[in-house]
Amino acid sequence: MSGTSLEEREDLRRSLRDLLGRLADEPARQAALDSDLGHDPVLWSRLAELGALSLAIPEDFGGAGYGAVEQSVVLEELGRALAPSPFLGTVVLAGTALVAAGGEAAADTLGGIAEGTTLAALALVEHDAQWRTSGFATTAEAVGDGWRLTGAKTLVIDGSVADALVVAAETAAGPSLFLVTGPDGIRRTPLTTLDLTRRMAAITFDSATATLLGEAGAAAKVLDRVLDAAMVALAAEQVGAARACLDASVCYAKDRVQFGRQIGSFQAVKHRCADMFTRVQLATAAAQEAAHAADGEPGRAPAEVAAAVAHLVCSESAMVTATENIHVHGGIGFTWEHPAHLYFRRAKSSQLLLGGPGVGAERLLTRLGS
Amino acid sequence: MSEPRSGQPGDMEDFVREVRAFLDASAARLPNEQAIAWGEGPDRITYFGDDSAEESARAVDAARAWQKSRYAAGFGWITGPPEFGGRGLTPVHDLVYDGIEAEYDTPDTGVLSLIGLGMIGPTILAHGTDESKAAYLPAMYAGDVIACQLFSEPSAGSDLANVSTRAVRDGDEWVINGQKVWTSVAQHAQVGLALCRTNPDQPKHKGITALLVDMDAPGVDVRPLRQMSGGAEFNEVFLTDVRVPDSRRLGEVDGGWRVALTTLMNERASVGSEGAGPAARAISPAFLTALLAEHGKLDDSSTRRKLAELAADQLATSYLNRQALDHLIAGGQPGPEASVSKLMYSQNITRATHFAAEVVGPKLVADTGEWGAYAWNELLLSTPALRILGGTEDIMKNILGERVLGLPKEPSVDATTAYRDLRTSGSGA
Repeated sequence: MSGTSLEEREDLRRSLRDLLGRLADEPARQAALDSDLGHDPVLWSRLAELGALSLAIPEDFGGAGYGAVEQSVVLEELGRALAPSPFLGTVVLAGTALVAAGGEAAADTLGGIAEGTTLAALALVEHDAQWRTSGFATTAEAVGDGWRLTGAKTLVIDGSVADALVVAAETAAGPSLFLVTGPDGIRRTPLTTLDLTRRMAAITFDSATATLLGEAGAAAKVLDRVLDAAMVALAAEQVGAARACLDASVCYAKDRVQFGRQIGSFQAVKHRCADMFTRVQLATAAAQEAAHAADGEPGRAPAEVAAAVAHLVCSESAMVTATENIHVHGGIGFTWEHPAHLYFRRAKSSQLLLGGPGVGAERLLTRLGS
Repeated sequence: MSEPRSGQPGDMEDFVREVRAFLDASAARLPNEQAIAWGEGPDRITYFGDDSAEESARAVDAARAWQKSRYAAGFGWITGPPEFGGRGLTPVHDLVYDGIEAEYDTPDTGVLSLIGLGMIGPTILAHGTDESKAAYLPAMYAGDVIACQLFSEPSAGSDLANVSTRAVRDGDEWVINGQKVWTSVAQHAQVGLALCRTNPDQPKHKGITALLVDMDAPGVDVRPLRQMSGGAEFNEVFLTDVRVPDSRRLGEVDGGWRVALTTLMNERASVGSEGAGPAARAISPAFLTALLAEHGKLDDSSTRRKLAELAADQLATSYLNRQALDHLIAGGQPGPEASVSKLMYSQNITRATHFAAEVVGPKLVADTGEWGAYAWNELLLSTPALRILGGTEDIMKNILGERVLGLPKEPSVDATTAYRDLRTSGSGA
């Protein structure tokens, strides 16, 4: 249940925008992309100081106990600035899985995430690149007091930098979640990514020491919750990015003069911007509905329907606005130096990350009873 | 006619209780979930009606009767001033009333409300003489007088300020000559608000005067205009030496454009707030799912994918509308949501209709007698209008681009040139 007013959330938004304006402007973003880590650790600790990392973590686990509505403000601003950060991997994916699984090991890790001292990643996807909640090829065996985990994961967001890996694996009792911190038995291989602002790794586990999270055989339900949370979170990030693309296009259409006129005075360009605006407004409504519904606010759409709607609508909105933004900028928009391509890369990557529009479509239809 | 109650702006909970008491006593509640029973009920999917004169007259009578009941109960004109039969409450009370009434099975009052009560009434209130207000407003909101909008002309569509219908002063009267077109409800109307050219030597926006025309006056000739979907919901209105007293003028002489803007503002407020309108049930995910089941396409993955995309956009549009209403109820100012909603409204219906057509396939080409097949043609043939009526998509996008995003206007000559010197369609290069 969200416990903040709109005004408080706007305060949070202003603080974040101010912080990101200083630490995640274009030169800072480029420096982060060129670094080994792939993100700016100073920005990460400032986000932690601001309380942005612990907003949606329950108080029992060292967080502030707010919900998706508050976390969406952070994601929107990160998406808008296209700030490379391990927020999605650490806080959303691993964080939601840890909260849903529960238990002492999860609590320790969540405490570190909330303070900004622990980076985490969810290792779920395997060789076929599909998100699933059961049927993993990776296996875990109980050995003595603990577990040993063997298998190969890929497309692990922030997998190279994560201190803690939350790994989905099959056990005799069914799909289960494990915490693996290594370093023994783990091999990480960074992957070349379409989205330059979000790093990924392939990770192999060879009899790696693992700690069971929650109950053995109970991962399917947890991972279904994680998928919904990921859709809601991505939607907020996509809204931020879509709005940034719209703003950039409108700004350029006012500045750029051709044929003796600002190009924004031509209907061909003006209508393109109006279409972008329409998709942004629709995406904003969908993302907000999904966040409020996820927090159980009365009078909202069913949470599982709204999450799927938000994933479809916001993915499309981010992709359309990123594409049109390049077009409004013309040749300059197609250069490596201009940030437009980073939004395009992020948009397509986010649209496909959780299985693609087809997966979102089936999720929606199932929930509508179609 | 019973006197409307002159309610006090009170607490919303009391208002809601009062609305429910009235509706419970006067109408049946609609079932919560309307299950789709394929093959049952009338085999029609309509948008614009195609009713016979008798059916149409019955519908108008039912609309008038329901508006009378509302008026008697104090809900005929919720936002209007008490001296003219209004209730003196806020637009939020109006929205709340509409939201609750939608839960009940009541006659469609569109013939009165869309144009007359929604657009012309507020315009008369803002710009009319005391005499006009007293003559028309209580009668309109009591359901006795239907009003229409004599705005569009063959040469003044999107460019409404280009009207050429002439009004010439003759003593205390005006004499009107010209032609109006696309006039909804003119066949039922007792009064029409006409935009007339009174000074062709001024630029087009500065030489228009707004006059209230008695639709029964000599020289007013209403002819039905058959639209491409087959029915005749609109009209052409020919005005030949029609005399209107100056006391029926709204606003200043040559100041009619301001009057028109009041009407158009109220139009934008009403369009888009209507959900999916008459086609809501047919394009709902549940109905389309039943259609797929009937045609054995429920397992076809590309068809399912399209259905999901339609459903997602429809649901997101409904979230947008509900959030905009919540925002108003919480005391916020209206934003650009209505324009966005209108653009999405026509897109959603159009896409869903073409989707259904593809599923139905060749049985939409000719009436084979199968239920739920050829019936789609009425909606299909109505879809092109959705991008035109109430301001074309192109004009809506100009408005969003210029007023919301702040993009520069197109350079133009028509704002400074005298109306009589402007180029017109067909006058060559």
